[in-house]
Amino acid sequence: MASDSSATQLKSDALMEQMKLHLSTDAGKAVTKKIGLVYQINIAPKKIGFDEVVYIVDLKKGEVTKGPYEGGKPDATFSFKDDDFIKVATGKMNPQIAFMRGAMKIKGSLSAAQKFTPDIFPKPSKM
Amino acid sequence: MAMRELATGAANCDPSASSNPLGALANALVGSSSKTQERLKEIPTTTPAAERQFFAQPEDRLRAIPGSESDQSLLPVNAQGSEFIRRFHAAEHGAFEGAWNDIHQANVPSVPHDLRVGINPQLQPTLDGPPQRVLSGLLHSFVDSSRGGLPFRPAQLPLLGLSEGDKRCIRDRSTIMARHFFADKSEDFINAQVNTLLHSLDIDSDVRGKAPLPGRFHELEDYWNESQSMMKPGPHVGDAWASEFNQHRGKLGGPDAWVNSFEQQHGANGWASEFDQQYSQLATVDQMRGVNVPNLAAMEQTRMLAHTLAQNEDPKFQNSKFLQFLSKMSRGELIIDDNQVKPAPGDWASEFQQQHPAGPSWADEYLHRGPDQWANEFAAERETNGPLDDQWVNEFSKLHVNDWADEFGKQVAEGTLGDNTADDWANAYNEFWNEQKQQSDGSRGVYVFSDMNPYVGHPNPLKEGQDLFRRGLLSEAILALEAEVLKNPDNAEGWRLLGIAHAENDDDQQVIQLTAIAAMMRAQEADPTNLEVLLSLGVSHTNELEQAAALRYLHGWLRHHPKYRTLASSDMPESLYHADVSRLFNDAALMSPEDADVHIVLGVLYNLSREYDRAIASFQTALKLKPNDYSLWNKLGATQANSVQSADAILAYQKALDLKPNYVRAWANMGISYANQGLYEDSIRYYVRALSMNPKADNAWQYLRISLSSASRHDMLNACDSRNLDVLQKEFPL
Repeated sequence: MASDSSATQLKSDALMEQMKLHLSTDAGKAVTKKIGLVYQINIAPKKIGFDEVVYIVDLKKGEVTKGPYEGGKPDATFSFKDDDFIKVATGKMNPQIAFMRGAMKIKGSLSAAQKFTPDIFPKPSKM
Repeated sequence: MAMRELATGAANCDPSASSNPLGALANALVGSSSKTQERLKEIPTTTPAAERQFFAQPEDRLRAIPGSESDQSLLPVNAQGSEFIRRFHAAEHGAFEGAWNDIHQANVPSVPHDLRVGINPQLQPTLDGPPQRVLSGLLHSFVDSSRGGLPFRPAQLPLLGLSEGDKRCIRDRSTIMARHFFADKSEDFINAQVNTLLHSLDIDSDVRGKAPLPGRFHELEDYWNESQSMMKPGPHVGDAWASEFNQHRGKLGGPDAWVNSFEQQHGANGWASEFDQQYSQLATVDQMRGVNVPNLAAMEQTRMLAHTLAQNEDPKFQNSKFLQFLSKMSRGELIIDDNQVKPAPGDWASEFQQQHPAGPSWADEYLHRGPDQWANEFAAERETNGPLDDQWVNEFSKLHVNDWADEFGKQVAEGTLGDNTADDWANAYNEFWNEQKQQSDGSRGVYVFSDMNPYVGHPNPLKEGQDLFRRGLLSEAILALEAEVLKNPDNAEGWRLLGIAHAENDDDQQVIQLTAIAAMMRAQEADPTNLEVLLSLGVSHTNELEQAAALRYLHGWLRHHPKYRTLASSDMPESLYHADVSRLFNDAALMSPEDADVHIVLGVLYNLSREYDRAIASFQTALKLKPNDYSLWNKLGATQANSVQSADAILAYQKALDLKPNYVRAWANMGISYANQGLYEDSIRYYVRALSMNPKADNAWQYLRISLSSASRHDMLNACDSRNLDVLQKEFPL
């Protein structure tokens, strides 16, 4: 049961889960077609670089997977804190601001990073 | 006159050194020189001959300045003080001014003006009273007698009845003035002079010299230290100063006595108020750091970009907004330097010395060299080192240029980035500041009441609020209910309804903060309606993806339920596991399958664990029992939307809206569903509709922006950013 609890620790998990589903929809497929890049997203619970959970958002194949990328080198790698990733993905904070604040670290190709915008993520609905 | 004011500390001299820059600087100097004073005691005598030599040097230098009409080699002792100042003034027509102009024209990035509002220049009134006159005479003799390098021998003084504050002012000011007058003398000599003066006035040279800093400075100090360590290799403190000095000089044409410019431009209080403002800016920054870490490292990265860009010679790019933005950034950089350097007049000097123990303090250096020399040197240095801009750019090239910046450089060089990119970044920068402002406005964890509430003073705001709520006028109801809880802060029902109204108005941030209050009050009373509060807290936290908190409230619901509390173990488990809690609720559902509420909580729980099919089933079961619960329809819809059954979700939302047409949350959810299906134009209409009912729904504004971009309606982004609903409603009718 402990694994269950730790698995629900990150807010980003919920969003990634939704992303996974989203990519199977028409809108999701359109995103894949439009971007055509592989992003690695490292999400840390509290501090960037610590206890990071690695997600691969593969917008070539239209998949979200947990764990390091096995198909070579991702086009761009982002590192976030959990909260900040949610903020960026839901449009509360735009990626440039996140970068300026140091809330988002980028490695890899800048042109790839530039395509990383909140509209590629589905928005969570509220009960 | 200004000098005398400085020396005597005119009327509005604040005894607290923190608001008086000169006094504070002097404090720092006195503080630091006390060690020197000790050393001085070990050395039996200073050598007047050497001092005379020192003195001769600036005389020669002054004479060499064009426009200086003095060719007397040595003036009568009494005239020297005024002559000194006169030359100082005279110098402004000559080389001195030229040197200053050079400095002015140097492209030292300046601090944005918005930081400078509120500087309130005021001149200090002259004090006229017998004690002042006596004091003034003494101070004049202090000034004069030392001209020849002779030790100061004060006359016997009547009792002046100086207050502690006066004494401190005199000490502070005489200390700093001494460094002006005896710029050519050794530190030891200056200290000895000042001490004699102070002694004659019965002022303890160390009185409260090292008083503990006021509490609020600690934060500043931390900030300073932290930023210092982050800024390695260090910022050009000198540059920052140069620019600051530049600014302060403002409209003054020539390099009048530094003293004058300080006093006249700011007045002691001007500085203080400026400090306050800067401080509040700093507080904002600090607050932000608490929330979001506006890392200075990020600024470094931006400056690396600037470096990369500076090497790009494409004129188009050189003139782009992006570069303007970067220059803003670099100014932002300077603000931070400035915040360290400037706003803490009490601390600046001592901190500077701590940070740069090797070099002499700025003030010392400035004075020892004499201002003209300093200016010349500055100009000379500029010539050898090239423009300041290059300097800082060069410096950043020393930093690790990561591949991102490289990449950026390549992109720029290849011209692959459109102009848009630059604009985006510039916009982002503006947004960043706006956001910062917003964050300083709304403090976290406190319920923020609306201003200008028309229902304050209403005889029965609760009833009015309930009426409005029933009629679906959520924003109005919220105002009425706020008036109610302001009137009766213990009214839990007012708080609860207020919380629900906020939730329906799509504002969970408020709900979390405010229902928590209601819940606490309710928990004490063990009232059954507590359950509703706990449930809505659970829902709100689920919406905000706060899983642990959500689980706690939902478990609390069970624990406080008269029927099911037996299911929960009597003592609260230390950590809750989702599976355990949902098992408990499944047991409850078996106990009374007709209780819609149990199914609702189950549905929320399954949302938490993202078992959407189960969640949908639970909500559907609940809807069979409570078909007219609009919020239940919305919950079903949201669950369906999150499990990408957007078409079904829209049907469910429609049901909810049929039952409650002003249900803002459902309108916003509609927008989300359309957006998630890629139907951006449609989503825009729904967002706008939601916003027209609750313009404060921040989420909807953010989503609207994304949809506008995705739908390539960039023409409407301005209206969105300025929250201009009229334009948006006209453009996107539903």
